[in-house]
This record gives sequence, structure tokens and C-alpha cells, in this order.
Amino acid sequence: MDGSASAHARKARRLYLLIFLSRRLLQGAVVLLIVTFAIFTLLRVVPGDPARLIVGGMAPDEVVVQKAEELGLNDPIPVQFLKYLGEIARGDLGNSFVRAKSGSMGGAVAFDDPSRGDRAEVLDLIVERVPLTLQLAGLAVVFALIISFPLGVAAGLNPGSWKDKLAFFAGSVFVSVPNFWLGIVLALLFSVQLGILPSIGYKGFEYTILPAFVLAIEMAPFIIRTLSVSIAQVMQEEFISVAPLRGLMRSRIVGAHAIRNASIPLLNLFGIQLGSLLGGVLVIEFIFDYPGLGRLTINAVLQRDFPLIQGIAIFISGMFVFINIAVDLAASFIDPRLEY
Amino acid sequence: MSDTVTKNEPPRHVASTAAMLTPTQRMLREAWSKPSFKFGFFTFTVLLLGALIYPEISSIDPTKMNIKARHTPPLFVGDWSWAHPLGTDHLGRDLLVRCLVGLRYSVLIGCATVVMMFIVGCGLGLLSGFKGKFTDTIIMRITDAQLSIPMIILAIAILGVSRPTVPAIILVLGLSGWPLYARVARSVTLSEKSKEYIKGQRVLGASDWRIIFLFVAPAVLPPIAFVAVLDVARMMIFESILGFLGLGVQPPTPTFGNIIADGRKYLINAWWIATMPGLFLLFTLTSLNLMGSALEGARNNVLKGAA
Repeated sequence: MDGSASAHARKARRLYLLIFLSRRLLQGAVVLLIVTFAIFTLLRVVPGDPARLIVGGMAPDEVVVQKAEELGLNDPIPVQFLKYLGEIARGDLGNSFVRAKSGSMGGAVAFDDPSRGDRAEVLDLIVERVPLTLQLAGLAVVFALIISFPLGVAAGLNPGSWKDKLAFFAGSVFVSVPNFWLGIVLALLFSVQLGILPSIGYKGFEYTILPAFVLAIEMAPFIIRTLSVSIAQVMQEEFISVAPLRGLMRSRIVGAHAIRNASIPLLNLFGIQLGSLLGGVLVIEFIFDYPGLGRLTINAVLQRDFPLIQGIAIFISGMFVFINIAVDLAASFIDPRLEY
Repeated sequence: MSDTVTKNEPPRHVASTAAMLTPTQRMLREAWSKPSFKFGFFTFTVLLLGALIYPEISSIDPTKMNIKARHTPPLFVGDWSWAHPLGTDHLGRDLLVRCLVGLRYSVLIGCATVVMMFIVGCGLGLLSGFKGKFTDTIIMRITDAQLSIPMIILAIAILGVSRPTVPAIILVLGLSGWPLYARVARSVTLSEKSKEYIKGQRVLGASDWRIIFLFVAPAVLPPIAFVAVLDVARMMIFESILGFLGLGVQPPTPTFGNIIADGRKYLINAWWIATMPGLFLLFTLTSLNLMGSALEGARNNVLKGAA
């Protein structure tokens, strides 16, 4: 009897998950559509003629006009947008305006040079850079956890103590550090003065360390806060106060119960903070000349490479939507009581 | 006789005023009792007064070049001369005056941006929570969409293709930072809307607008106040990032961002050019963040006391 009841519960839960997933995916699709439309419209409205950008500054005006006609830039924006959506649906994010397939910038190539037509595909440009950015973000999360765990847990276990105050103060200072400035100062210290770590470009794993550390300092205050607040809360719960009666050691109580329960707010925090994390990646990759998605984005903007900007924006918000769904799913596995 | 009166008077007096205080006043009083709030408040006030007064009374122009005095180190490094307390940059411009003028722009843009986010976000949030149904769905999906594009990408994309003037920067930062305010305003609206006294007002014939402005809007303020203080600091960082990328207020006007960007080129000869403005900004932001966090803690305490 017991077995059939639990089987029933499992079935209900699976159905629940299915409904949850499909609803969230649908919502995510709507969000993506809004983002795409907003970015698309924005880039059509702002000054700067894409046709001129493609053919280069030296091209005669007739060439510009012809190119604009060819690209359909004279069509009304909704028509252009629908066309663009059709292309995305076929997995084609378009070609970069300025980047050549070979990897060179192509800025100096004459307007009638045949290589001007040979532009890199936006999707390739993005996919190429994702692994390096993931490596940077992953290492940054590890560093951030190493920095914040001792502080956050100590503060959460001893509310009001000097440890709590230290964690509060450290958090307030960390959140106040301008990331680009910290990057410059650390590069000055570790690369120029001490010569321990490289800081410009990417030739191996050690090039990830400094940028990841800067990112970690940016993330740490939020982790410290969430940890200390949620651990302090969990420690007041009844199941924690009776745990010593069950003969459990304190280290096990903290490790198995307090931290496990605090990990759900931490996961949610990750979903919420993802946006600003990506913003940080952008700036830090630029400072350290780290060849990831962030540097690609900033260069795309500075070069007004519209298809690339669009592609990156869609890619990033897609990732954002996806990760947030994944975060909710993971939270529900850690704590099955959670409803969606 | 008179002794007993004076002994009895103060506690009664204190109790009666504490009961009369609004939650916002109680929150401020609670925050003021914390050393971190006082420290932040005094530091910020001193820095702000310095920024307002010193460049006016000092004879040094922030954009005046003096090649003979270029790369003068700050006083604690060099020969303890007060001519340029924080040193000079590669063109011999005084870094202290430049930082203080930069602070003016930074605080101006930070505050104006937060006001803008507050108006846009709370307006949409109130509308969303109050109207519900279709309006709510649409506004919330737009909010999600906005949240899923990192603000800095949006700001760089817009400012990169238009001329970055002060109003443009405020507009761009303000338009990309409102979602949080909208969410908070919406949730407060939803919880206020279902309360008995609002229903009572409806029965009395109050219009939607009357209810929104007189009853719901004031309830939105306390949970958002500390977010706003923390956000001023966050926006000041964004302003400096934009300046650093060359998309902020344009030179020769000094901003933290463009001073640091300049100084980066002279890191080996004159490390202080890039370092000093950052330290300056760090102090300012820490003072703001200490205040904001103290306000947040105070609000939580007031809520706990009320419950």
C-alpha cells in the first residue's frame, strides 16, 4: 500500500515537473522574442548607417546605396524584423559587418576587394569564444566560494560577533571596489611589480587567474551575505536544535544540515546575479584583453557591428533564461518541498 | 518631590514619541544608532562637501596643464609638499581637484539615475500590481526581458552609437535599471491591495488613482529606500566603467573613469594616476554601501519589532 502511494506521488511529481518546464520554456521564448525585437529596433533607430559600415568609409555613395538595397535596409522595420526572425529560426544569426572569416579585422581592405564579402558568421564568432568565458566564470565562482565560505559561514554561526561584523565590513568593501580599477591595480602588482602572473591576452591557463580573482571579489559580497543570513536562519530551526540530542556532532550539523539548506538561496542568488556577473565578465575581459565573449561584445559595440551585437544579446539572454530554469530545477531536487 | 517627577518623566516621554513615529522615522532612528551608518554618513558628507567646496576655493583649475609639474607623486610618496596632495597626472593636472570634480559628476549621475529608475520602476510596478491580468503579464514579461540583458551591454550599445552627454548617460542607465523597482513595487501593491482598509476605501468610493497615490505608494517607499541608497553606489560604479571605456562624460571634463583610463597608460612611471581616483571612489562607495546596509538592517529590525 505504501509502495503504490509513493509511486503515485512520483507520477504526480513528474507531471508537475513537465507542466513547470513547458510553462517556463514558453515564458522564456516570449522573453527572448521581446529582447530580440527591442535590440533589433534599437540598433535600427540609433544613428550609424550599417551599409556604410559594411562597405567601409572609402566607398563611393552609390556602393552604399546599392548595399543598403541588397540588405533590405530600406524596408520598414517590422518587415526586416520578420526576415531576421526567419533567419534565426534556421539557425543563422547572420554575418559580421567587419570581421573577416580569416580572423583579421578587414578594416583596411578596400571597398571593392573581394574579401570584403567574406565575413565571419556571427554564430561561429560567438561559439568560438564561449569556452574561454566559461573557464573564466567557472574559476571565478570557485575563487568566490573559497573567499566567501569561511566568512559567510562564520558570520552565520555567530550572529553579532566580531566574525559577523568582519563579514559585513568585508562585504561592504568588496561591493564598493570598481572592478576595472581592481583589475588594473592587481595587474600592476602581480604582473608589473612582482612578475608572478601574466595579465594581458591568453596563452595558457595562468592567464585566467587574475581576471577570475577580480570577478570573484565582485561576486563574493553577495555570497557572503546570502550565506550568513540563511545559515543564521537555519540555525534557529527546531531540527537543528534537537540534532545534538540525536548524537550528531556540531561539524556534521553545520555541514549536512545548515549548509545544505543555505545552498538553495545561494542557487537562487546565482540565477538573479547572473546578469551583473556577465556585465562584470565584459569589463574584465576588456581590461585583461582576455579573448572571450566579453571582449567580443565590447569590440562589436565599439565597431558598431550590428549583427554581432544582436547575436550576442540574443545568445546571452537565451543563456540567462535557460540557466534560471536550470537553477529552479536544481533547487527542487535539493529540496523537493519547493513548489514552482 | 520634583526629583520623582523628573525621574519619571523621561521614560514616559520617550515611549510616547517612539509610538508616534512613522515606520520610516523609526527605521532612520534605528539606522542612526549603528556606528557603521554614522561612519558612512560622515565620510560621505565630508567627501561631498569637499567636492562641492574645494574646487571652487582652490586656485587650481582641473583642466589646467602644467608640464613642468607632470608626474608629481602624492605627498606621502614624494617630499611632503602640499602643492599637489594626490600628485599630478601626465599633463601636470592636479589629481585631487580632478577627483573631486569627478566625484561631482559621479554623485550627480548616480542620484539622478536612481531617481529615474525609481519613477519608471515604481510606476510600472504599481500599475502592474494594481491592474493585474493582461497588463500585469505584459509588464512582467518586459521586466524579465530587461533583466536578461546585462545592463552594461545595453548601456554600452546605446552610448557607443550616440553622443554620451550627462542626460544621455542618466537616461540610458536609468532605463536599464528599473526592473528591480518594478518587482518590489508590484509585490507591495499586491499585498496592500488585498488589505481590509483598501477594500474599505473602495466601498467609500475612492478612485483607483486616489488609492494608488494615498495608500499604496507610501507603502512602497520603505522597502525600496535602502535599495535606492545601494543603487546610487552601483550606478556610480557603472558611470565610472562607462567613463573608463570612453563612453562616459567626455574629456576634458574629469571623471573617475577617464582619469583611470588615462592613468593606465602611465602605470609604470606614475602608478598613482590610476590608483588614486580608484581609492577615492572606493571610499565614497564604501560609505554609501555602509549606509545602505545599515538602513536595510534597521528596516528588518523594525519589521521584527512590529510583528
